Amino acid sequence: MKILIDKANCVGNARCAAIAETLYLLDDDGYIAVEEFEVPAGMEQLARRGAKACPERVIQVIEDDQE
Amino acid sequence: MAQANLSPAVPKPDHVPASLVYDFDMFADPGMIENAHNRALEIVKEAPPVFWTPRNDGHWVIAGHNAVFNMSRDTERFSNAMVSYEQIHAMIASMPEGAPKPLIPAPITYDPPHHAVYRGPLQKAFSPKAMTALKDSIRELAVALIEAVKPKGECAFVDAIAEPLPVTIFLRMFGLPVERQREYRDLVKEHFEDTDSDPSHVQARLKKVTDIMHDTIMERKENPTDDLISLLWQSEFNGEKATLWDIQNYCVVLFAAGLDTVVNGMSLGAVHLATNPQLQAELRADPDKIPAAAEEILRRYTFTLPPRFVSADTEFEGVQMKHGEKAVLMLPAADLDPSEFDSPEEFNLAREGKAHIAFGTGPHRCLGSHLARFELNILYEEMMARLPEFRLDPDKPLTYHGGHVWGPDEVYLKWDN
Ligand code: HEM
Repeated sequence: MKILIDKANCVGNARCAAIAETLYLLDDDGYIAVEEFEVPAGMEQLARRGAKACPERVIQVIEDDQE
Repeated sequence: MAQANLSPAVPKPDHVPASLVYDFDMFADPGMIENAHNRALEIVKEAPPVFWTPRNDGHWVIAGHNAVFNMSRDTERFSNAMVSYEQIHAMIASMPEGAPKPLIPAPITYDPPHHAVYRGPLQKAFSPKAMTALKDSIRELAVALIEAVKPKGECAFVDAIAEPLPVTIFLRMFGLPVERQREYRDLVKEHFEDTDSDPSHVQARLKKVTDIMHDTIMERKENPTDDLISLLWQSEFNGEKATLWDIQNYCVVLFAAGLDTVVNGMSLGAVHLATNPQLQAELRADPDKIPAAAEEILRRYTFTLPPRFVSADTEFEGVQMKHGEKAVLMLPAADLDPSEFDSPEEFNLAREGKAHIAFGTGPHRCLGSHLARFELNILYEEMMARLPEFRLDPDKPLTYHGGHVWGPDEVYLKWDN
């Protein structure tokens, strides 16, 4: 599973990191620091929840069967 | 302030279809004053997602969740400034040297690309990491305020807790004298209660805010500390050193945002908890549910209504809007929209997968959201841990204030020790 983030449109709500701090890494200002990452096995549910928590809707979940 | 008078209704302009007219005085609507969020639920049911109200000189109200989301992020067509950056700067350039410049609340009335220049210096100071460092001092103060009223078996919650807690934390952060808290709060109240939008009156009101802070501002220029005023003095804007005018532009926003928001959030939370003893029991039994409860309180009782100004004649969600018209983003209605939240009136701790927008969306997302969330969570934690089941005093009915920031005027709580 992969996460894609429209980083330019992140406005720093940091809700993704509030749910999954180790997956959604923030910069010093509290904005998302990464544009994409592979979700480690076993953390898929946490990654999905973090994505859905984004009020700005800038986090996209790419499930394995979609790749 | 419950008895605000209805503003006169103005005739609708020709481009507004009759089907989009709905009567809502955002400062004085009688239903809102009786119960703010019941009125928001009613508006969600009765009014179109984008409607026009004849009150307060006539303006648009954006009530649908998607419509609010789209307008907030469309900064090209919908400006945060009543007068554009270019116009203001042209005006300032034409003023005689030394004449007092009009205050431009920063960063909230700046649009991209200027917005980032003014928001930038504050980002780190308000980041989740920076706010984590304040947790202990927030908790210490919350505990002291709760313990002070606990033996009495009752309290006027706004006056005893919801006001002193965030206001003290904010004044410390800002570097303003905490002893003068009462004076600052009164001034903010006066500022928000005044609905006169005549530019010269607005300027006079803003100037009062900068006057009260003037000595502290000048003192920090010479003797910087680790507070926000000192940080702003050390910032640069487009390569130029901060001026007194820049600092004043920030102060008027931070002052209002820092002193009048969390107070209302906490008070709305206290009302919900006081009227839902089973929720209190659930949270006392399982404090790990408090963060979810704090989020659901923010959604169910979203309470700010920020304005936008139409930059050029345009069509938005099928509606014709004209240059210069005002559109109020009715966030309380957006977060009660059934097309976004199933059974929106229900308080549901398991409402995962849908994000509320109590702190706004788009680039102006509340700068203080991380601070506010810590304050709300810590307060609820300590109330659940320290107070027995509390309820509203049935002899003192609630009234609400409307306007840009909604909330109960006072919340009288009682409990049996
Ligand atoms: C629960 C409490 C709070 C709520 C619900 C809230 C809500 C909001 C909302 C909806 C906006 C966006 C306005 C717009 O789009 O025009 C905003 C902006 C802002 N808020 Fe808050 N706020 C809260 C607490 C605070 C606190 C504690 C501070 C500061 C100490 C603060 C500082 C600001 C600032 C500076 C802005 C302007 C940001 C910009 O224009 O870039 N807020 N707030």
